[in-house]
Amino acid sequence: MLFNSIEFLIFLPLVFILYWTVFKRNLKVQNILIIVASYIFYGWWDWRFLILIILSTLVDFYVGQKIYKNLGQKKARYWLWASMAFNLSLLGFFKYFNFFVDSFIDMWSLFGYNMKSTWTLRVILPVGISFYTFQTMSYSFDVYYKKLKPTKDLVAFTAFVAFFPQLVAGPIERASNLLHQISTKRVFSYEQASSGIKLILWGFFKKLVIADALAPIVDDIFQNYNDYSASTLILGVCLFSFQVYGDFSGYTDIALGTAKLMGVELMSNFKFPNFSRNVAEYWQRWHISLSTWFRHYLYIPLGGNRVGKLLSIRNIIIIFVVSGFWHGANWTFIFWGGLHALFYIPIFLMGRNRIYSDNIIAENSWFPSLKEIGQVALTFILVTFSRIFFRSPTLNDSFAYIDRIVSDFSYSPYVHPMGYRMIDFYLLIGLFTFYEYIIRKDERNPFKFKSRYIRFCIYSILILLMLLFYDDGVNRSFIYFQF
Amino acid sequence: MKKFILKSLLYVFLILLALEGLVRVLHLYTEDPPRYIDEYGVEKRVPGSTGYSVTGNRNQNLSKFRINKDGFNSKNEFNPTEKGYEVALIGDSFIEGFHQDYHISTGEKIEERTNHIRVYEYGYAGYDLANQMHLINAYKDQFSLIDKIIIYLNYESDLSRGEYRPNHDRIRMLNSTIFKIRDNIKLLAYGSKIGVLESFKRLAQGKAFNEPKKGYQENDVKLSQEEINNQDRNRLDNFKNLISLYGFDKNKTAILLDSRKTSENFLKYCKNESIEVIDFAPAFKASTKSTTLIYDHHWNEHGRNLIADTVANYLKNNRAD
Repeated sequence: MLFNSIEFLIFLPLVFILYWTVFKRNLKVQNILIIVASYIFYGWWDWRFLILIILSTLVDFYVGQKIYKNLGQKKARYWLWASMAFNLSLLGFFKYFNFFVDSFIDMWSLFGYNMKSTWTLRVILPVGISFYTFQTMSYSFDVYYKKLKPTKDLVAFTAFVAFFPQLVAGPIERASNLLHQISTKRVFSYEQASSGIKLILWGFFKKLVIADALAPIVDDIFQNYNDYSASTLILGVCLFSFQVYGDFSGYTDIALGTAKLMGVELMSNFKFPNFSRNVAEYWQRWHISLSTWFRHYLYIPLGGNRVGKLLSIRNIIIIFVVSGFWHGANWTFIFWGGLHALFYIPIFLMGRNRIYSDNIIAENSWFPSLKEIGQVALTFILVTFSRIFFRSPTLNDSFAYIDRIVSDFSYSPYVHPMGYRMIDFYLLIGLFTFYEYIIRKDERNPFKFKSRYIRFCIYSILILLMLLFYDDGVNRSFIYFQF
Repeated sequence: MKKFILKSLLYVFLILLALEGLVRVLHLYTEDPPRYIDEYGVEKRVPGSTGYSVTGNRNQNLSKFRINKDGFNSKNEFNPTEKGYEVALIGDSFIEGFHQDYHISTGEKIEERTNHIRVYEYGYAGYDLANQMHLINAYKDQFSLIDKIIIYLNYESDLSRGEYRPNHDRIRMLNSTIFKIRDNIKLLAYGSKIGVLESFKRLAQGKAFNEPKKGYQENDVKLSQEEINNQDRNRLDNFKNLISLYGFDKNKTAILLDSRKTSENFLKYCKNESIEVIDFAPAFKASTKSTTLIYDHHWNEHGRNLIADTVANYLKNNRAD
């Protein structure tokens, strides 16, 4: 079920009312409602893949107990490996099998052996598999690293894995945050619910206006890059930067808002990454749940930055490449991850990778300094450049796209595929960026204005913009569903 | 909880109210003059209606319309006489011209390009050839005074039936209370026009949950040669049927069409039967500028100028005073 569908518009109020009325008195019953609602939400897309979620839930619930029972012994590690093997096998089979087979065949073809690809499978990638497998693995890791006691409540654990607001595209929650809340009685809070509604509205705006309005332009430019001038190709990738941000952060805001309606606080996944002053800060603001996952469960176990410069660099390269590979079984994503490692390493070597971790651009002033503007522009250019690899279907396309920009620079105005005025879209992006700058200090409260009249005007304008930029023909799915 | 629900409902109501105001102030909604079927069974607009037609989500095209006493969008009242030289331009939405101000319509442009010719535009969105032939037949007294009749024919969509039957059910539906409410609440009219209400409509029809998800681009289904031939045959049969049912005065009637979108067989038939054809394809083909609106398939100002040039040239060459 998509958040931006009529089904969800009926589903959410229904679940909300049942959750806080009929099912309110008993925590277990309330959690059962979460499970049923989550399975309906997920099964709406394809009920057969519910089996995978159920299996992943049962395996990690059981493994968690076993790890805890054998803590301090070798057996605990074996059980952790079992959890990893199971979850990574699911991912490997559904997401990476064809990639490995094809890459293997390509490798042999380099030596002159031409093999036929008879092993590749026609498997659909189950929506959200990369998200919920990582979430269940984090539980086993946390138990293993003694950060968490395993739960004995299978209902709560199942609700934790399947919690519908964040099931298909995150944030990838840590058990210490989400499971704890699901195991505790929730009390309805007016402030929490109303802040949830506001986040949902903001998320819908980002998805329906920013992402969906730009989608046809980006698709057109990336599909026909051979026919366009360099200036149009630059425009295409810049707009893609805004599209993917609007799409994914919009989804996250709706997820966070929906969870708030259920009395649950999910972690922030985006903190205005477009205002990052270097690539390191960007990764502290973009898809935070994934970067912290890799930091806690891969980078730190590998030794992090406590192992000398050379090994630290190795670790950085590993997490960026693996993080790229997490996005999809394609060399483009691996290259994208590698490129970010290249951007990050100089910052790390200069010791500037954590200097912006607890402040934001123009922290104590209205306007950013010239230096900050330059830093933000440079970071945006680097990140946007890397997105050519993220968006292109193959590495060859990525390089051909870059080649057209570099080798034959020319300018020509771009005409929208549907003939719309492009100035509308440039204005939209400009105003959106300006508004995000105003609210840059609190990503969980996009309408933090004292006057209720101003807030009301903003709500009305956002909904009007949704209508003004509504396009009936656009594919309304979320980009990160494919990961 | 109760406070939250009540306050949410209040906010929803107030926001809808604010949106209604904004939609009205920015004139985002389009007006559709009411339709009716007269005593001759001709479907047309209610005379005297005026307003603005809007295209696009963001009011990309705003044009004024005026429905004359005969029920068509025109600056002129239709009073054909024995003395003057009058031309009837009949067609669908392209001729009805809700995409331009009524006083700079295609008919008006033709009048400007010719001497003492008055053009009456019998345009109505949704008309096909059956409507048009019935109209000429039903108003034969008026048309007997008209010197030239030009029928705009969209070959691909106007020949799907061989007989005209007035669609009273559709008119009743459009005049029903639900549609009147929709047209009076401008936010609803606007939402309906841009497709936002589609999901709700499907829901009301019980089809919301089984609609296939649509991608941004859909490939057209390609027809086989045999299917194309059958389609052509049907269209030609319908044309012949309409001629035999309603009559066709070859001496004063011509068909305005785009030969690029018309079958060879049909063009051959017209030639063999000495039916005059005004082909605007060469003018459109030679044009370096776009001939249609950028967000709509109707002719833009330039396209209408080319049509007017083509028709005016035809009239100059064929006028029999």
